Amino acid sequence: MSAEHSHEHDRHNAPPDPRLEKHQSPAQTHILEERVQKLEALLVAKGLVATEALEELAAVYENDIGPLNGARVVARAWTDPAYKQRLLTNATVAIGELGISGLQGEHMVVVENTPSVHNVVVCTLCSCYPWPVLGLPPTWYKMAPYRSRAAIDPRGVLHEFGVDLPESVEVRVWDSSAEIRYMVLPERPQGTAHMSEQELAQLVTRDTMIGVARVEVKS
Amino acid sequence: MVGSTSLPRRSGELVFHDPWERKVFAIAVTLCEQGWFEWDEFRQYLMAEIAMAEHAAGPQALASVLPSYYESWLTALEKLLCEKGIVPAT
Repeated sequence: MSAEHSHEHDRHNAPPDPRLEKHQSPAQTHILEERVQKLEALLVAKGLVATEALEELAAVYENDIGPLNGARVVARAWTDPAYKQRLLTNATVAIGELGISGLQGEHMVVVENTPSVHNVVVCTLCSCYPWPVLGLPPTWYKMAPYRSRAAIDPRGVLHEFGVDLPESVEVRVWDSSAEIRYMVLPERPQGTAHMSEQELAQLVTRDTMIGVARVEVKS
Repeated sequence: MVGSTSLPRRSGELVFHDPWERKVFAIAVTLCEQGWFEWDEFRQYLMAEIAMAEHAAGPQALASVLPSYYESWLTALEKLLCEKGIVPAT
């Protein structure tokens, strides 16, 4: 696992795993395209969906909803102790204060990393993920290796992501239930006292809010 | 200012790899938001598809032999909509 953590090449993914390489043949892709086209046509004919609206929705999740939202929440919590308390007490409402809400964020819980506790989030059975604050999950989060190993061997998984914690730090794994979606509030790194809230937000990556990375200050 | 959080997908990968993935995602979300099913109903079907795919292939299976994540999503959605009577049984 590379130790580089520059923003421009933020490939904080698990180390290359041949099991994650999905090579779909053109024939397979064509079959899937046809199934989806058939489904869409049927639903359009029934007046249940509209093609343009579907495209707009997908574009929103591709472009507008993403970890920048969660980063704003983190930066606010770091700079405003009262907000942080509200966030830890009722995350859904506190996140909503920043204008962030939506599907898969109706029941949010934020878990705080401290010098003695490190939190990791997983959905062992599928891919539950807090869309409004982090966007859609990365491929590795949805795949069997992470889903099973994060629950069974979190320290091993963290090690692969370049995070090595002393034994004195408790690792807590949060397995998403039917309703609750978790987000990690990472620790604020040293050397950031001079930073504005906006500058702090730019330090916070998606992986630090899943719990497989720690926030770092670029040197 | 470019940062890893300034563009949601600047984490080294695309959100959707193919147009059909975008489409099936949007269909599921749209129908749920319209009230045709609860998200947890869809989740039950998705978990089942993922479990079937992964158990059938065995623990050491390469991803290349498994249905992809969004293929599981599509199959789950088709089955759910069939149960709801929204699409005919195939």
